Amino acid sequence: MSWTRSARAVLAFSLLVLLHYTIRPFLGWRTPVDFLVIAVLLSAVRVRPGAAALIGFCTGLVADSLTPSAFGAGALAMTAVGATASWLKAVFFADNVVLHGFFFFVGKWAFDIVYVTAERRMHGVELATQILLWSPLSAAATAVAGVVLLLMLRPVLEPQAA
Amino acid sequence: MARAVRSGTRVDTVLLVACCVMALLATVLPLNLREAIAGGLRRTVVAPLVSLQEQAVRGRSAFLSRDATTSRLDSVALRNMQLAKLETENERLRALLGLGRELQWGFVSAEALRIADIGEEHSRTLTVGSRVGVEPKTPVVAPEGLVGMVRTVDPNSSIAILWSHSDFAASAMSADRSAYGIVYPHLSESGRDAEIPPERYLMEMRGVAFRSALKPGTLIVTSGLGGVYPAGIPIGTVLGELRTSEGWARTYLVRPAVRPTDVSNVIVLLPKRIQGQSLERVWRSATSADSAARHIAAAGDSIARRAAADSVRAAEAAAARRAADSVSGQPVPPAATKPAAADTARRPQGRADTTRPAPRRPDAPRPGAQR
Repeated sequence: MSWTRSARAVLAFSLLVLLHYTIRPFLGWRTPVDFLVIAVLLSAVRVRPGAAALIGFCTGLVADSLTPSAFGAGALAMTAVGATASWLKAVFFADNVVLHGFFFFVGKWAFDIVYVTAERRMHGVELATQILLWSPLSAAATAVAGVVLLLMLRPVLEPQAA
Repeated sequence: MARAVRSGTRVDTVLLVACCVMALLATVLPLNLREAIAGGLRRTVVAPLVSLQEQAVRGRSAFLSRDATTSRLDSVALRNMQLAKLETENERLRALLGLGRELQWGFVSAEALRIADIGEEHSRTLTVGSRVGVEPKTPVVAPEGLVGMVRTVDPNSSIAILWSHSDFAASAMSADRSAYGIVYPHLSESGRDAEIPPERYLMEMRGVAFRSALKPGTLIVTSGLGGVYPAGIPIGTVLGELRTSEGWARTYLVRPAVRPTDVSNVIVLLPKRIQGQSLERVWRSATSADSAARHIAAAGDSIARRAAADSVRAAEAAAARRAADSVSGQPVPPAATKPAAADTARRPQGRADTTRPAPRRPDAPRPGAQR
């Protein structure tokens, strides 16, 4: 990956992190859009699995710093999601919007499952409701937002050759 | 090449395992250690993001509370408007009370209800009728001056025309009696060389002798001629002269003392009160309708002050009586512990109120008010 492409990817990543800490709390939805997962997924498909794991770990640690009671859970979930996305990136080489949406959906859902499991705060019905109801809804919102952002950021992430 | 790929894969695996181990370790760290690491991150790397998040949350709260704030502002504004309306109404009622005190007898107070029918905007339904002595052609007044005249009477209500009604006419004069004429509503400027633009809610005083020139601001009152309106009720003030084709008399444009929109509570002068009697004393020593209204309002205030003083005197007398009883050691009867009402305290002392027509509230029923 050239320096220009790396800089553009970093720019897009930073933009998504900013959105996560501005748009998300402003909207305040019960099923929030997770811009951090989108950022990690978009980065992961452009780097090797080890780097993707590291990006996920750092991003998760930043997110965990605001939730000390679940410290480490986000880092673990982001590491897993980032590394897996990087290994599976061949699947998503196809330039298909629906496939990308599915990619974001699965990524966010997997993140939530790992997160709530590692957090060990929810049990029984509450855990099931979170994993089977709220997480898929949040994943769907994230998928829609991810596809929209991907279409908007395409000129930045994949510039056309002059 | 294959070695490089294998090496890369090994590095990836090592990184992944290392990250996973560190993350798992973070989940099982003691709470104080976790808090220390998280706090360190929040104070350094994450600080700008925390600030952004706080501002976003604050923005959301402001956005959500916008409707509630708007609603609160609306209610406060509405209450403010209602308060202003209540203050105005209170002022008018006090002025009416003052007018009642000045008139002393021969009148009834009434509420003037606006008739909703089209074309009836210059009439009002009064809440008094023939049962209290109201008859057709009895004048209707307000603290500011003349309102109109009763046209039809039912037992419990009557209909009055305002001065703005096309059928209204009143014999009038200047307050210094230097000029006489007839006051009509100023309906149109047709056929006249108008210097002052037409205005529906103005009056005109016609038939003023050519030798009698009136200056703008001159107070016009009823003259008492014709037997409908007693002399001395303010009608309005002269605005200026109207040019007419009649060369032997002058016509003046008059600004009315009472605006039709302000007519809500009025006083109906009963026939007995107006027979040959001037009401100049009521609006006496007033050089304009405005100052007359202020004088009347002040009279209303004096009634309230007198009532307050009476109640204070009665309370003091009761307290003194109780103190005297307790000193003498006699038990105080329950009735004596109640503060004596002003009227009961006054009557045994033989005050002049019992020997002369007492000033009364305009809305109080009084047999003497009947014709």
